Amino acid sequence: MIKKFDKKDEESGSGSNPFQHLEKSAVLQEARIFNETPINPRRCLHILTKIIYLLNQGEHFGTTEATEAFFAMTRLFQSNDQTLRRMCYLTIKEMANISEDVIIVTSSLTKDMTGKEDVYRGPAIRALCRITDTTMLQAIERYMKQAIVDKVPSVSSSALVSSLHMVKMSFDVVKRWVNEAQEAASSDNIMVQYHALGLLYHLRKNDRLAVTKMLNKFTKSGLKSPFAYCMMIRIASKLLEETEGGHDSPLFDFIESCLRNKHEMVVYEAASAIVHMPNCTARELAPAVSVLQLFCSSPKAALRYAAVRTLNKVAMKHPSAVTACNLDLENLITDSNRSIATLAITTLLKTGSESSVDRLMKQISSFVSEISDEFKVVVVQAISALCQKYPRKHSVMMNFLSNMLRDDGGFEYKRAIVDCIISIIEENPESKETGLAHLCEFIEDCEHTVLATKILHLLGKEGPRTPTPSKYIRFIFNRVVLESEAVRAAAVSALAKFGAQNDDLLPSVLVLMQRCMMDSDDEVRDRATFYMNVLQQKQKALNAAYIFNGLSVSVLGLEKSLHQYTLEPSEKPFDMKTVPLATAPITEHKTEIAPVATSKLPEKLAPSRQDIYQEQLSAIPEFQGLGPLFKSSEPVQLTEAETEYVVRCIKHTFANHMIFQFDCTNTLNDQLLQKVLVQMEPSESYEVLHYVPAANLPYSQPGSCYSLVRLPEDDPTAVSCTFSCTMKYLVRDCDPNTGEPDDDGYDDEYVLEDLEVTVADHIQKVLKPNFAAAWDEVGDECEKEETFALATVRTLDEAVNNIVSFLGMQPCERSDKVPENKNSHVLFLAGVFRGGHDVLVRARLALADGVTIQVTVRSTDDNVVDVILASVG
Amino acid sequence: MGLFDKLAGWLGLKKKEVNVLCLGLDNSGKTTIINQLKPSNAQAQDIVPTIGFSIEKFKTSSLSFTVFDMSGQGRYRNLWEHYYKEGQAIIFVIDSGDKLRMVVAKEELDTLLNHPDIKHRRIPLLFFANKMDLRDALSAVKVSQLLCLENIKDKPWHICASDAVKGEGLLEGVDWLQDQIRAMKT
Repeated sequence: MIKKFDKKDEESGSGSNPFQHLEKSAVLQEARIFNETPINPRRCLHILTKIIYLLNQGEHFGTTEATEAFFAMTRLFQSNDQTLRRMCYLTIKEMANISEDVIIVTSSLTKDMTGKEDVYRGPAIRALCRITDTTMLQAIERYMKQAIVDKVPSVSSSALVSSLHMVKMSFDVVKRWVNEAQEAASSDNIMVQYHALGLLYHLRKNDRLAVTKMLNKFTKSGLKSPFAYCMMIRIASKLLEETEGGHDSPLFDFIESCLRNKHEMVVYEAASAIVHMPNCTARELAPAVSVLQLFCSSPKAALRYAAVRTLNKVAMKHPSAVTACNLDLENLITDSNRSIATLAITTLLKTGSESSVDRLMKQISSFVSEISDEFKVVVVQAISALCQKYPRKHSVMMNFLSNMLRDDGGFEYKRAIVDCIISIIEENPESKETGLAHLCEFIEDCEHTVLATKILHLLGKEGPRTPTPSKYIRFIFNRVVLESEAVRAAAVSALAKFGAQNDDLLPSVLVLMQRCMMDSDDEVRDRATFYMNVLQQKQKALNAAYIFNGLSVSVLGLEKSLHQYTLEPSEKPFDMKTVPLATAPITEHKTEIAPVATSKLPEKLAPSRQDIYQEQLSAIPEFQGLGPLFKSSEPVQLTEAETEYVVRCIKHTFANHMIFQFDCTNTLNDQLLQKVLVQMEPSESYEVLHYVPAANLPYSQPGSCYSLVRLPEDDPTAVSCTFSCTMKYLVRDCDPNTGEPDDDGYDDEYVLEDLEVTVADHIQKVLKPNFAAAWDEVGDECEKEETFALATVRTLDEAVNNIVSFLGMQPCERSDKVPENKNSHVLFLAGVFRGGHDVLVRARLALADGVTIQVTVRSTDDNVVDVILASVG
Repeated sequence: MGLFDKLAGWLGLKKKEVNVLCLGLDNSGKTTIINQLKPSNAQAQDIVPTIGFSIEKFKTSSLSFTVFDMSGQGRYRNLWEHYYKEGQAIIFVIDSGDKLRMVVAKEELDTLLNHPDIKHRRIPLLFFANKMDLRDALSAVKVSQLLCLENIKDKPWHICASDAVKGEGLLEGVDWLQDQIRAMKT
């Protein structure tokens, strides 16, 4: 058939796909020839092909037309043409779910599967199992059992694989076929053995003891099939992980023995299993790694790729174990397969010592121009990881990166490099000047607006604080002259920061601003005018508030509040404090682990988690008039992980109230919970105002109930409180299968863990890009200072982390990273206290026999300062 | 039909093919009858209830039959009609020992005869009053009365008693069917 199509194509000279412009209705019309007698197998075959093609293209068939076509197709069983019959099986499988009454072919298929024609039997079994449901399965059970132990391998394999599919739908019936499957597992055919083992495992996978027994049996008796061995290795390693078995377990011995199997597939699987085991030590790793090392010099590309990919993963956890393979890996750098070469390079970068970095970099630069952008990004990621490991090598890397930046490349690639340079600059103050210089050079000829604005923002932040800020002005102002609107606006903002920070540059900046005010774009002119006026005031506080530290409110929240305000105009001016604050981006911590990975984040401004909560809560009538949502905490688990009911709580803080949102999940399939609420007993003078119960809590569908609590007004310093929580509900027992509940139920309760409200729940993180300016802006009217000693803490890092997580404030100026080998450190924290009071904390830490901390708190409100100091103490 | 096929037909080398529907209530013996008619080397040993339908073939002296052996179980009976257009003849099997369900058989027969695909076609109907070996089995005449076969005016029909297990009476019926079909063709 296929040859025939080819010929036709050549003649017509049209596109290569003979089915390109098929019409569903035309094909169904053609399907009428199925009804003709005698049957013309060749034409019918062609039409069936068209139908299957359409189905696979996602064409929608209505139930009636599909059923009609299906029944027409059933007549083709008259024909004894082999190809046609097998095409019928395929059609049955494709149409099993869209046509009605497909069971009509059951008898025809059972006849074929028990018949004499071996070519029919396997496909007939597969088709039969597709159209069979639980009720019909018992009717064909006898045939399935016979087929599983059939001596023809293809029949036996089809029966086993079909059984595996049916385990999902009728576990109990298939379970009765275990004996047959056991018999098949000792078959000589490698595929039958593999499939039988797969079925046996899936029937027993919920019973750990049975799986162990099965493994024991087969590890002793040995298997013929390498596929079966691979599967056993996977089962064994999963079991080891679940039972947290040590390396003295017989399962581990089995896996290790597989390293000496004669099949490469099994050897690789065993090595990969060992490598991926958690808490695997160097001693156990060694044999696996040496096997992979052998693979590295295999003539088969697939093996080399598998080996180097696995070694790459090992290198992350145990770089020293891979060092032995360095020589082989270096040979792979020149591999003709670029995927292998790139993986080899990145592995080497991970394992390489500080001294080999220079050599490696040289090797990379020799082939970097030959590989595709995606692999270049991988290489850049590896370099960026290397920079974190060997900060002293930054000059080599920086040179290399700047060379790469000059080469041609797509946006993703350029962005990866820029992100990498930025992270190096942030990690390494020494590299700042060179890095900024490279970036300046890059934006001179940069076609990507996003990158240009990003770099301009960075220049504005870092540039003014370098020894010679004036040299950046030229690059920035060039943008104003040459680039598009978005870049020009960003350049104006950056210029303003130079003017605000450096008094001696201010007159020149003002002149440049004047020029910018003539710009053709509204946004650029607006910004220039605004900054011009602010700068002319020459007031530090104004500079801090409007130039260095921008708005800290959530953009979506601001939009919503402004819209609300314009709908109900009032005499009062719009109050910025009613706008919910922007939550500090969660990606902040991740950046340190994988600086480039964050570049994949969607650029669209998605509504933050808090905006979603605000929406949800404001939909509940009881919670109206509480003002904007101030802060939502991370979920707190109030139950153990595997209990009857799983409850977690999210604390929502408002100006004078708190709402506790309890997300409950019922894990009992024979119960329906109703009127679920969590009763709370506060330890302090907090007052529970209202409970909003969850009406229904069916099995495994999460539901939420809420409690509204008023914060004590008379005592603003009472910020921490412990609530003892009890979940109360009405239980209605129900049928696990149907979910149909009994008519009446009974009240019950369930004690949850205590819930703590701490000072962190009252403070929202706010990032002040320029802490010193913010510090001056708040002023010292409400400043207090106190000194504490932390005897239990041994390192500065630990102390910093404790303070940050306890106060729930945002560390500024990257002060949460303590440089190595220092015994004193200054931590800057910024936040907003409930009610809209700015809070700034400066903590000086000194390490000597424990950590001594001098905490200075500044705020716009006296009480807040007291609260913070009291809670730290 | 190709020229060669026609030629073979004239020479009597290749037999004419006819499609026949085999209908009737469940457990009336349809599959057993068809099985008996097949050559002895192709016969199945055990007969199980048919689900859906199965296609069987057998040959007589001058015709080659393709039989759509339909399932008689209640929930599959509505699927019969999909194949009515096919049938050039109908074999309707009745369990003559099952007096209780004779009315059900009559009802199914009436539905069949009134179906638009059947009603206006003059196709031969062959009735087997099967299981005549049972002691309390009704005679063929009694069965035809109970089913009111005398009311069928527009189609040739024939009833004969049979015992499908032993094969008695089957050939008589099939011979009649063969004659009817040949008469219609010519």
